[in-house]
Amino acid sequence: MHAMIIDDSRAMRLILRRIVTQLGFEVHEAGNGREALDVLQAMDQVPQVALIDWNMPEMNGLEFVTEVRARERYRPMTLMMVTTESEHGQIVRALAAGAHEYVIKPFTPDAIIEKLALMGLVPSGSTS
Amino acid sequence: MIAPTVDDLQAITEQVWLSYLDPEGTDPLLPLPVEAPAAGVAASVSVTGAWDGHVVFTCSREASLRAASALLGVPADEVTADDVADAVGELVNVIGGNVKSLLPDGCLLSLPHVVTGEAAASGRWPAAVEVCRLQGVWGAEPVAVGVWASKTTET
Repeated sequence: MHAMIIDDSRAMRLILRRIVTQLGFEVHEAGNGREALDVLQAMDQVPQVALIDWNMPEMNGLEFVTEVRARERYRPMTLMMVTTESEHGQIVRALAAGAHEYVIKPFTPDAIIEKLALMGLVPSGSTS
Repeated sequence: MIAPTVDDLQAITEQVWLSYLDPEGTDPLLPLPVEAPAAGVAASVSVTGAWDGHVVFTCSREASLRAASALLGVPADEVTADDVADAVGELVNVIGGNVKSLLPDGCLLSLPHVVTGEAAASGRWPAAVEVCRLQGVWGAEPVAVGVWASKTTET
């Protein structure tokens, strides 16, 4: 199983990496949406899930979701926003653009794991 | 218009500490009326739109090294300036995002801006007024979170 972590903060990428690595995911990282598209293009397989920050330089998370949803190859990839953007309208925009799940920072490891379990990506009952 | 309060800042920082810096709950940020560090680290995000202002996180150099060490998993004596900027920038990003959630809909949050040294202690927003500030210590080190509103923003 592969997971893509897209966040402009190395610290946040490391926090998320620790969580999904212990669940058995092989992790790929990018510092913004544009870089993530490049990483995806170079991969042989499509990650099962992408954890996506919203506010990033160059290409933000919403733009990334929109780009990915326009490409058939990435249709199987589950998209989870992991962001400080908590305004109702913003959440609706992200879901309308094609995000499947939404986690607001700050989060606990269990919050991420529960969302992954809800999407069938890890067994229910997995905890940190 | 509703403005964030010190109680709001305390609730937000408690969540941030429990999530990222103090998951065991044994090393919290303790609210105390301590002086801001003379020369440390200041990280800010700006809010624009229906409400204009800034959320500013300041701390001593030692506290910034601890934060970077905890977030990036490196020994404090190996933390680099880039590590500090990344870690403290993410902290203010999360705190600022949660402050924004208390403000009117339609606001935008900037990317974080981090400064160190003497520049961190100087007031950088002459067109804004501080509306609330949480001061405290983490370990023995001073940490503060302040919310500044543009003078044109009614609070």
